[in-house]
Amino acid sequence: MNSLKTFLILIALMASTTISTATPEYDFYICAKVNRDYVIGSKVETVNGVFKRGDDGSWNHQGYNDTTLTAVAFDPRDRNVVYTSANNGLWRSLDGGKHWRICNDWDMTEARHVAVDPNAPDHVYLSLPDGIAVSTDRAQTLVRRENGLPERGKYTQRVTIDRTQAGRVFAACEVGVYLTENGAESWRCVLPTKEMVDDIQQSPHNSDHWLVVTQSAGAWSSQDRGLTWKQIEGVPSSHALYNITFDPTDPQRLAIASWGLGVLTSEDGGKTWQDRNAGLPEPHRVWRVGVDPDGRLYASVHKQTLFYSDDFGRTWQPDTLKGSLVNYFLTLPKLAQ
Amino acid sequence: MLTLASTGTALAQPAFEAGPPDRSVIEDAAQRRAEYEARVNEVLNWRASGAMVKTDDPGNLGLAVVACKLALGQDLENCSLSVLKAMEEPGTGPFWMFPSVCVAYLGRESLSPEAQASIRDVWRTTRQLRGDTENHWVMYYASLYLMSELYPNEPAETWYNGLTSEENLAESKAFLIDWMDMTTTIGQGEFNPTHYIGEYAIPMLFLASWSEDPEMRQRGKMMLDWLFAELGNITLNGVMRGPNSRTDEGSVIERWNSLSSYFSWVLFGNTPPTKGYGGWGVYFATVAKNYQVPEVIYRLATDRKEDFVQRDRARIRRRWRYSEELSPPVYKTQYLRDDYAVGSTTGGQLDPIQAHAWDVSWDEPDPRGKHNTMFSLHPNSSSVAMQMSFTAYPEPWIKGVTNEGKPSYDSPDKVVGSSPFEQVFQDLDTVVALYDIPEGTRFPHINGFFSKDLVNITEDESGWIFAQGGQTYLAYRPLAAYHWIPYLHYSGGWAKEKLPIGGQLLTSPHLKNGTIVQAASVDEFANFEAFQDAIHALPLEFNLEPVPTVKMTSLRGKQISFTFGEAPQVNGEAINYANWKLFEGPHLNAEIGGRKLTITHGKLQRVLDFNTLTISDTVTP
Repeated sequence: MNSLKTFLILIALMASTTISTATPEYDFYICAKVNRDYVIGSKVETVNGVFKRGDDGSWNHQGYNDTTLTAVAFDPRDRNVVYTSANNGLWRSLDGGKHWRICNDWDMTEARHVAVDPNAPDHVYLSLPDGIAVSTDRAQTLVRRENGLPERGKYTQRVTIDRTQAGRVFAACEVGVYLTENGAESWRCVLPTKEMVDDIQQSPHNSDHWLVVTQSAGAWSSQDRGLTWKQIEGVPSSHALYNITFDPTDPQRLAIASWGLGVLTSEDGGKTWQDRNAGLPEPHRVWRVGVDPDGRLYASVHKQTLFYSDDFGRTWQPDTLKGSLVNYFLTLPKLAQ
Repeated sequence: MLTLASTGTALAQPAFEAGPPDRSVIEDAAQRRAEYEARVNEVLNWRASGAMVKTDDPGNLGLAVVACKLALGQDLENCSLSVLKAMEEPGTGPFWMFPSVCVAYLGRESLSPEAQASIRDVWRTTRQLRGDTENHWVMYYASLYLMSELYPNEPAETWYNGLTSEENLAESKAFLIDWMDMTTTIGQGEFNPTHYIGEYAIPMLFLASWSEDPEMRQRGKMMLDWLFAELGNITLNGVMRGPNSRTDEGSVIERWNSLSSYFSWVLFGNTPPTKGYGGWGVYFATVAKNYQVPEVIYRLATDRKEDFVQRDRARIRRRWRYSEELSPPVYKTQYLRDDYAVGSTTGGQLDPIQAHAWDVSWDEPDPRGKHNTMFSLHPNSSSVAMQMSFTAYPEPWIKGVTNEGKPSYDSPDKVVGSSPFEQVFQDLDTVVALYDIPEGTRFPHINGFFSKDLVNITEDESGWIFAQGGQTYLAYRPLAAYHWIPYLHYSGGWAKEKLPIGGQLLTSPHLKNGTIVQAASVDEFANFEAFQDAIHALPLEFNLEPVPTVKMTSLRGKQISFTFGEAPQVNGEAINYANWKLFEGPHLNAEIGGRKLTITHGKLQRVLDFNTLTISDTVTP
């Protein structure tokens, strides 16, 4: 329990402190596919999967070589317990990535996202193209929990867990945002949409503040723990928005990734938005954006490379991982040596 | 020992290079079997001789050559060396898994212990992907099942997925039985595939050959009969006809040019094999001796005495989103005669990429190189369609699939694909295809394929276009104005440019549109003019607004009414597809949910009963 408290305190500290020391006090992970034009059956010619950023800025591969990882999650009590969502479903390692076990049956496939409840760390949520599966025993067993989700329309791109309350989870689905407050025993729609919800994020600065991006309905904001939503003016609905992120160093700074629009940023809490594509390769097909706890903005440009910006998108520099596609960014408190 | 591979003197492909095979029915069972085995040996000897080997290194032959050599008991030392080499760079999914399982089983007695161990070790070290389609999963789980049986009682850490041998066995068996249940109750998701038939048949043959579990051996054998009975039934002289869940432009225009023809050749001997024996086809040959083609299936493929109609139900592959149903039904009609075949689905969105909804195709004495087909389609290119079946984001996939083996997907002049804006009705050898394409749709036109092998193409004042293909007269009626463009062809999944190979497209740039095609045998009419006169004499009314609608009398005297969005009517009676069975026709019959297929030809009958896992053969006196 102490380790859990420590984790939560670190999260809170991280959310409110601009870290500018030479040695980062966090670990920064990505899930990346580096193979170009990989198709099922190809030889894997490059290293893919989870990468952890080293102190020197290099990306160090962790665990298995898998081209299909969509997300990674860790048990907050024990960093050796790792979960990844992937084509085959949910993978779990109990020894820091040395050995892995597939946790789902054949009828769960092409997992979209995985998340661990920080307040109930045995609870693991897996989003699937046809719903949501939950484990309450660290993925030893995995069952579907879809009560309240529509029979059709439960394609779930992502699950995001409210860090303030155990069992309070949002699901980004085909026909809206769904909320459970009882560990997925039941779900209810809190934001209906006509097409996919692609991402949902909780502010690291204010746990009541949530953001959503969608395929054809723009971006939405909630200031009341995700119970009511208001569309964000200034974010176009003309193109699919793939993900959204807060800047943990500045509550006013937000960023959105879009294939059609590239990188959009706001520095006034979402009131106005700017195109921040100058310096990125054209066309500006931005797959994901992420911000590390130093405020460095990353943009994964489709099959180009990972780019980063230290001035929140005004200028960009290429990182390594040429040809990559980053599916996920994750920041965790750095482990004590 | 020097192999032929290293001398560069690979054998020819006799059946591919020779004239078309004799189509006469072989009455003697022993002769049929002998010829089947001769064809199988032809494949094995050709591939084992070093064909398609890209290196002079006899210790780096690749898994396909190794499998053939092991089946023949040849060159075992180099087989072992080649396995060791191949395992240095393993693949990552079902297309690698089933060849490696094939070699592992064939080499149980003949590969070196090191080579066998190398295969086993890769199944520990290299993560294998399940893939994202039904054929991927069948290959994946059949392979995992057999590998788990080959290495029982081994702990979780010795497998790439962290499950024990017993867990893998149970998981794989559960999937395979579920797939068989679905297929035998509501139909195949990847129905009538021109190429993917191999991805189903080969794993089933492996199960039938190698599973230690009698139930799984029996299931494998019965599924082979199921697949091959349908193959035989929808082929005309060995060439698959009509609609396909998944195919490509090569097979759509040159109907013979598909892996299914290789299977027709091996099983029935009634058409030439494709080049390279269909690529994957060699893996079937390695254990083909374990399959006995049932006489009833052989005869329904080769011994046709009467025209027949077959009506079937299948299903669309899983739709994750943007669909009211997970796996909507597909209703298929096939009409097969001596000279031609007409086949269709009811149109709509089928497979998101590679579907073929309908056609009229005629027989050619030698089908190689012949574009023996006529059809039209809306060249739909849609990210929504992609997203239905794939975990895709809206924008990248259209471009993505053109780089992943489906180069024509986003071409306005493509000839492969299904569309939600197409609805089709077939009665015997009449097809009515109607199109209601919304404003703003990408590619707001339809394409009609007119083959280089048609003769006497006549644009008649009446609006009909008449032509002859083989011994078949064809009448094609566009319902809106059109113009002609050359047909340009991607020759293969990885082709970068389109080439003129003859033929043309009738392109009609109108959102409300339609096509009527009628066919007849040459010997039904005194001459081509008489056929045209008969078509002219048939009543035909149509309107395109507000939605396309046709009222006509067919060449066979049926009163057909068909309006886009409504049930078609024949002689005043609406077609109720909901009543259709899984299979209904003179040769194949099965009820929805029945798990039982009755295969009939003349006095012969075989019943595949998956409820009891029994095969029953009867001969009517």
